[in-house]
Amino acid sequence: MVSYKKHTLDNGLRVIVHSDGTTPMAAVNILYDVGARDEEPERTGFAHLFEHLMFEGSVNVDRFDQNLQNAGGENNAFTTNDITNYYISLPAQNIETAFWLESDRMLGLGFSEEKLKTQKNVVTEEYRQSYLNQPYGDSWLLLRPLAYRVHPYRWATIGKNIEHIQEASLGDVKKFFSTFYRPSNAILSVAGNVQPEKIFSLAEKWFGDIPAGTPHVRNLPREPEQDGTKRSSVRRDVPQHQIFMAFHMCERSHPDFHTADLISDILSNGESARLPSRLVHDSKVFSEVNAFVTGNLDPGLLVVAGKPHNGVDIEKAEDMLWKEISDLVHNLASKRELDKVKNRVEATQTFSDSNVMAKAMNLAYYELQGDASLYNYQKDAYSAVSQEGLRRLAREIIREENMSVLHYGLV
Amino acid sequence: MLNRKNPPPRKYIQGIPYIKPKEANLDNGLRVYYLEGGTEDFVKVELIFFAGSYHQPKPLISFSTANLLRTGSLSHSRREINELLDFYSAHLQVEAFKDFVSVSIFVLNKHLEPALELLAELVLRPTFPEDEMRSFLKNQKQLHLINQKKVQHLARTYFSELVYGEQHPYGYRVKPEDFDKPSRDDLAAFHRSWFCPCNAFCIVSGRIPENLEALISGQLGGSGWQDSNKPQPPEYPMLSSGSRKAFLEMPEAVQSAIRIGKQLFNRTHPAYHRLKITNALFGGYFGSRLMQNIRQEKGYTYGVFSNIVSLKRSGFFFISTQVGADVRTPALEEIYREIRELRSRPASGTELESLKNYLGGSFLRSFDGPFAQSERFRELLVFGLDYSHYDDYLETLRNITPEIIMETAKDYLNEDGMMEVVAGK
Repeated sequence: MVSYKKHTLDNGLRVIVHSDGTTPMAAVNILYDVGARDEEPERTGFAHLFEHLMFEGSVNVDRFDQNLQNAGGENNAFTTNDITNYYISLPAQNIETAFWLESDRMLGLGFSEEKLKTQKNVVTEEYRQSYLNQPYGDSWLLLRPLAYRVHPYRWATIGKNIEHIQEASLGDVKKFFSTFYRPSNAILSVAGNVQPEKIFSLAEKWFGDIPAGTPHVRNLPREPEQDGTKRSSVRRDVPQHQIFMAFHMCERSHPDFHTADLISDILSNGESARLPSRLVHDSKVFSEVNAFVTGNLDPGLLVVAGKPHNGVDIEKAEDMLWKEISDLVHNLASKRELDKVKNRVEATQTFSDSNVMAKAMNLAYYELQGDASLYNYQKDAYSAVSQEGLRRLAREIIREENMSVLHYGLV
Repeated sequence: MLNRKNPPPRKYIQGIPYIKPKEANLDNGLRVYYLEGGTEDFVKVELIFFAGSYHQPKPLISFSTANLLRTGSLSHSRREINELLDFYSAHLQVEAFKDFVSVSIFVLNKHLEPALELLAELVLRPTFPEDEMRSFLKNQKQLHLINQKKVQHLARTYFSELVYGEQHPYGYRVKPEDFDKPSRDDLAAFHRSWFCPCNAFCIVSGRIPENLEALISGQLGGSGWQDSNKPQPPEYPMLSSGSRKAFLEMPEAVQSAIRIGKQLFNRTHPAYHRLKITNALFGGYFGSRLMQNIRQEKGYTYGVFSNIVSLKRSGFFFISTQVGADVRTPALEEIYREIRELRSRPASGTELESLKNYLGGSFLRSFDGPFAQSERFRELLVFGLDYSHYDDYLETLRNITPEIIMETAKDYLNEDGMMEVVAGK
């Protein structure tokens, strides 16, 4: 149970505070309700490029990082298809520095052509380092457009291609900022050795006078139901074949989400789970196999990925993978198997609750989904999943018509 | 009117709230340390054995022994072990380093008893089944082959070989055929020699329940686990001669990985703390000279950093980055220019202030919570140090000056003996 207090400023900024007196540190997290799904199809990779520009100085403060370092802090950020999240860890005694820095970059950025150009190059190198110069690095760049036809989840946060990043203009940057980086589109959460009343007054002091802006209304196309298996294959200089199977499933806030998550856990969370146990250890057909849900705010994917050993017939490997996952459609999972994955969910959440940064991030993320208190209901939601519920949902999701298959093969 | 131009008042850190361990010696000689703290009802129980790759008679023995502990024991098959670990949601973590291996378990207090029993079973009575070993090594070989395609990985492994030589376990670069060589008997013998109570210690951290000490001494302290005889670590000559360069060509690469550095010393050396601080200014954090120049001003890379690595019997310095293949030459020039400037260009007032404050906060953060504290304590135990080592660091940081930094750069981070590896094109 993570206790918290919440207060909303007049300009719409939501502020959430969790006190933990056992740490000398504080975690300050700002979530902006904007991700790669909000990009124009011809301007992809922009939300992430923009995240880089947030560190390049704001209206009153030239050097974000240096000023934070001066207060003993460190920070980072990430962009997903759904959100952009900025986080700071610093000694609690210096927490006001985080308010000063974060409020100034919400007030306005220090835009310049030169800074944009440098960060375009940095992001281009990131594209090359993480997506092009790694074995299997571009698999998600291929899988997304295969699984999604119309929804913007069809591109990755890094963007469809490097050209989109290189074409970004200063005008695009300014428009993006004024559309999305407004108090009413953000959630500030603080966890650590702090008092809620003190944090609310700091929030009022530093963020209170930032204009609310016009709320952005999101209107994204809904992905139509898939009506047949989609297949694609590529060949690359990799040492081993990899098979990806992706199935459409519900969104994060849907009542079925926890059931779907447990389906993926039964398949692959832990060495005793079905896929590693049967396909890696027993039959030794695969060297690695994994299943997970993307957990997106719009309808997401259940993904199963595996690397068969060289020399194994690929069709046969795919059949074996299919047989294991579709078993959940035909047969009930045992009570012990279900209890086991529920135990793991409980432990994972407890381990993560020992970290103030994780708590701050989670509170903000659940507030975005409707209410921070949802965070404390997760364990209950998982424990309510039944054997029959699991099979019912497996029948909806694990169907050939609902599947996209990518073969990432050897040259 | 709110003053947004100037920073709000801030304070330098006051000191570190150490969680000093409570020590217990079990009947069989195992030393156990308890670090109490945290908000959630779970603990980490970690066993550390001085049985790293340094101690192994041939490649991959330490790594395989550690990782195969969970694949079979006198009373459980691999399948049963995995089933029990998952059912009690005990997270087993095995790490094999050059100087030691660590086997730890994170577990909710309510599942403590069966989890500890299992941990003891895995560590004390493993059987290393032949087929499990073959399958593990086959999968690891695949991962190894994938890594051979990564410029970063190639640069790292060739760099160690240049610094320590292929004869020294710190420098040895694993080859694909090494995965075919270990035998079951190698692992069992290695386990028998090195995984014994007098060659180990145990660190327990978290919200420690009352019955834990009794459980630990029952499972790990009994007469069932005794030393055969105290193992003697092997000795190897340390290679250190001249500067060398290696270029590993990968025609398909879109980026080149660069690694530059040299052999130095570990954290027991009197100059270690000032070296660590000097390195931070150079490339040890986002505000460092390397990062500001090569990423933030030039945009050559997504990231560049340098570090000081402490090993039990040595230590080394390295710079690492991946840059666009087209800017490899200017990036290298900038790196060497920064190396030269480190001994000639004094840190400015703001540069020094930023460095000291950042390192202070970062040091405090590295002690945040019982699990972080147990890692810092492990570091002391491995090197035979006590908490004054950390107090000395804070003292050195408080008194650091631009002159001390330049002098340290002159003494240790000069180009003599510097090795350079470039992988890519």
